[in-house]
Amino acid sequence: MLVLGLEGTAWNLSASLVNDEDILCEANAPYVPVSGGIHPREAAQHFADNVASVLRQVLSSADLRSIDGVAFSQGPGLGPCLRIVSTAARALSLRLRVPLIGVNHCIAHIEVERWKTDLADPIVLYVSGANSQVLSYRQNRYRILGETLDIGVGNCLDKFARSAGLAHPGGPKIERLAKGSRRCLPMPYVVKGMDFSFSGIVTAAQNALTSATLEDICYSFQETAFAMLVEVCERALSQTDKSELLLAGGVGANKRLQEMLTIMTAERGARFFSPRPEYLQDNGAMIAYTGLLMLSHGIQTPIASSGANPNFRPDEVEVLWIT
Amino acid sequence: MDHLIERIIGAEAAVDICDNSVVKRRVAKKYRTTEIDTKLRKERTRLEAKIQSEARRAGVPTPIIRAVDGFEITMERIQGSAVRFSISETIAEQIGEMLCALHQAGIVHGDPTTRNMIFSSGKVFLIDFGLACYDASVEARGVDVHVFFQALEASHENFISMKRAFILGYARRCPDAQQILDKVEEIKRRGRYL
Repeated sequence: MLVLGLEGTAWNLSASLVNDEDILCEANAPYVPVSGGIHPREAAQHFADNVASVLRQVLSSADLRSIDGVAFSQGPGLGPCLRIVSTAARALSLRLRVPLIGVNHCIAHIEVERWKTDLADPIVLYVSGANSQVLSYRQNRYRILGETLDIGVGNCLDKFARSAGLAHPGGPKIERLAKGSRRCLPMPYVVKGMDFSFSGIVTAAQNALTSATLEDICYSFQETAFAMLVEVCERALSQTDKSELLLAGGVGANKRLQEMLTIMTAERGARFFSPRPEYLQDNGAMIAYTGLLMLSHGIQTPIASSGANPNFRPDEVEVLWIT
Repeated sequence: MDHLIERIIGAEAAVDICDNSVVKRRVAKKYRTTEIDTKLRKERTRLEAKIQSEARRAGVPTPIIRAVDGFEITMERIQGSAVRFSISETIAEQIGEMLCALHQAGIVHGDPTTRNMIFSSGKVFLIDFGLACYDASVEARGVDVHVFFQALEASHENFISMKRAFILGYARRCPDAQQILDKVEEIKRRGRYL
């Protein structure tokens, strides 16, 4: 089976062709803000300007008649961006007369990490700019065991980075600065059962800018925010009796977060899977691959229900491909 | 000597069940810095003990706390049958009244499953206040009731009659019971906490 995937939920516009064995090709047109963070309208404009070009790049190498389906990121994400991507995907599916598959972006992150690994049934920590969730598969669904009560951890890092004058994306810069300190300032540590909240840390970090060094703040920021995530993961492992933990999403690139999860899982005797570098960022391949899984299990998205879904939750998707 | 009978290792604490007492100790976590770890364990231990005592004063049967020391709570051992195995309609009704009393005191338990209840000398004791907090909102109470229903559904065959008995008990003392039960339905529809 051969499926084309189109990703475009926030900053990266990416198209890819995937078959059952491998990724055949991928083309990217990332949106880079001139200043500040991602501006939804400007990102969407960038997508509109580049969507034909990324599609042409991946299609140029393929026999159009061999394509079995067109998958696209239906949500969650920025509405204006999602609308560009879904419009392009609809047009292409009608033109090629092949099924359309609306893919949940979060599930795509998980499935692409599971692809070609021996992960059986992990607890998933999915951390990106807008999303922070702890998920667990049970009875045809990825259940959300815990999640952020306000903003995603990446968004939280970016917000602080902007007020500290660090350019977008802020995460890698905060990670680098944090290495220069060992002084942990008190910051709000908010875990409520299985849920967590990050907005208080942003405020605390911004307020500290006048009285502490940037290195100290970045260090404390990471230590506090990540400890919250790791704690909830540990509770999820304990409650479900599962013994694998998978990290996915862009913030998964952070080495300190990986280290903390490694320590926690080692103490519990669980296995930890850090994200593979090639799938870390938003990419078309993960959408194409998940679309392929869905299509091969008879799941298609009729045009009438193919609209952008900015608040698309992973637990809305019926998962038929895991047995 | 108080002999150790069983040690239960949870996600954040080790619980020693001894002949005459139960000792809950929050263990250090190597993944987080000492500053955060120490402060957190101390605060949570104190809060847990405080809420558990307050629940008791509000008429909810809970083990008497004998000592709080650093990361450790020593409490009375309640001997009885695990509600998980001995639940009946009468007990479910009692659980309803008990959880209602807790909620009326502005406290939610956080994990009121039948695993955390012991039936002893005619009363249902609520244990493990590790996730408890002060929250009088309809949402928080709704989540508490929902967690209980989920546990019932997962491990008891005749959960419909148990649920009915629970509601009977819960509504008896709670003026806004209907509002909370409506919230439970809403929470269920969200598909979370499953």
